[in-house]
Amino acid sequence: MDTYAIEADSVTKVYLNRQDEVHALKPISFRIHPGEFVSLVGPSGCGKSTVLSLMAGLIRPSSGCLRIFGKEVTAPSNRVSYMLQQDCLLDWRTVEDNITLGLEFRGRKNRQTSHDARQLLELLGLRHTLKLFPSQLSGGMRQRVALVRTLAVEPDLLLLDEPFSAVDYQTKLHLEKLLTDGLKIREMTALLVTHDLEEALSLSDRILVMGGQPGEIRRTLEVPEELRSADPLTARGMPSFRPLFNELWKEMESHDKTVD
Amino acid sequence: MIKPLTRWLTRGAQSEIHADYLRRHRLRDWGVGIARAAILILFVAGWEVSARQGWIDPFLFSSPTRVWELFLEMTAKGELFHHIGITVSETVLGFILGTAAGTALATLIWASPFLSRVLDPYLVILNSLPKVALGPLFIVTIGAGFGSILAMGVAITVIITTLVMYNSFQGVDPDYLRLARAFGANRFQLFSRIIFPASIPDLIAALKVNVGLSWVGVIVGEFLVSKNGLGYLIIYGFQVFNLTLVMMSLLIVAVLATLMYDMVSRMEKRLLRHRNT
Ligand SMILES: Nc1ncnc2c1ncn2[C@@H]1O[C@H](COP(=O)(O)OP(=O)(O)O)[C@@H](O)[C@H]1O
Ligand SMILES: [Mg+2]
Repeated sequence: MDTYAIEADSVTKVYLNRQDEVHALKPISFRIHPGEFVSLVGPSGCGKSTVLSLMAGLIRPSSGCLRIFGKEVTAPSNRVSYMLQQDCLLDWRTVEDNITLGLEFRGRKNRQTSHDARQLLELLGLRHTLKLFPSQLSGGMRQRVALVRTLAVEPDLLLLDEPFSAVDYQTKLHLEKLLTDGLKIREMTALLVTHDLEEALSLSDRILVMGGQPGEIRRTLEVPEELRSADPLTARGMPSFRPLFNELWKEMESHDKTVD
Repeated sequence: MIKPLTRWLTRGAQSEIHADYLRRHRLRDWGVGIARAAILILFVAGWEVSARQGWIDPFLFSSPTRVWELFLEMTAKGELFHHIGITVSETVLGFILGTAAGTALATLIWASPFLSRVLDPYLVILNSLPKVALGPLFIVTIGAGFGSILAMGVAITVIITTLVMYNSFQGVDPDYLRLARAFGANRFQLFSRIIFPASIPDLIAALKVNVGLSWVGVIVGEFLVSKNGLGYLIIYGFQVFNLTLVMMSLLIVAVLATLMYDMVSRMEKRLLRHRNT
């Protein structure tokens, strides 16, 4: 077990267009072990989504090397699944056909995998929505369907770009719980981008605080074992939660000042 | 008398206030319907009376009874359906072919960004060109007949469809494409599973516009070729100063164009019933 789930070595990104170039990332380096849950937090524009896009294989680094499970990222990998703030459900397909979209694109849709996807949907309490269309679902239900679609490809690495920032608080807690439970069972690695510090603290093993423009990693925070093992709602109520939250908050504020 | 009427107006009511609400809304619906019918009746009656009283020249403007008599006469002889059949098939084929060709062209330029940039100025020129001006060209190359008229129906719809559909393809939410690409979709899958289905509402909007446009193309085509069809009846009636024939053909065109538009609208409702917008 000496291969990392993610290995970033001095990865930079410069976006080029006709007018100018945008330096989105200073050289950043970090490593994530298999099975770890890591959050990326930081003010908007500091390059969090860029980091995820690089790992999803949607864009290439301008320099440096990025490896996923020991393999350099040159294209979207079959071991990775990616989830966004917007649920991106296809309005013209039923829930049943939406959750197998990833399997379809990866050429892995068959009776068995479709069955597994339906079981996952059932597990998330959405069995009755199988034949419904997305327009018939509430926002929270839609995001749960999107979560099923993300997990249906059985990824080893989950990339989450503010996946729960558009749903109400209650749904968010529910989804967080489903996610952590699901991750534990399947031993997946996860990298979560969020601007919600509570979410980062209650879900992750480790938090990378980013800042600046171009962005860099300014601080790494290990989350204590007692918070990690508790479920997201319980963790939020623990005595050690607040001090860490305040520490993270200060860290972010000091970054805001450096921007000014 | 009043009781059954009230009951009918409030059918399906859940409560007193709901009944009141339903009664007011249904009465207003009736008002709208009656006003609509009144306009039509007044127009036809006014036309008839003015023609009989000599307020307008019946020779120029004909009259409803004359139009109706001509309609019965031509229907009895069967020649009317011959003309209607020709014009309708030209129009339907024209807008279907035009929409299909436009969508195919849009797909082609979506597939090749290079081609898209190369063709851009030509599409703009072709789009600004009044397509009916191409009529004489079609007649010389294809011959004076069905083919030329069909070509007009296609020419008038194809470029605008290309532009609209290409825009629609470009306008698909980039997050959907990111998601599909992260799932390993290739360009063909991207197009067939995401981009094209997402653009179907715009395709139907184009179809609705094209119904009207292809009528223009076909009628002008028939003006030029002048052998068959409702456009031919209009130009012929004008040449022999039979304005009753012109009026009747115009009315038939209006009715048919409305029916076609209505059919596309129904199809739209069916196809888009699950979508949000
Ligand atoms: N496709 C792009 N082209 C040019 N600049 C971009 C592009 N995507 C992001 N950027 C820029 O890169 C920086 C980081 O963006 P992003 O990764 O989206 O930040 P975050 O997700 O932390 O808000 C921002 O300044 C943004 O404007
Ligand atoms: Mg972002």
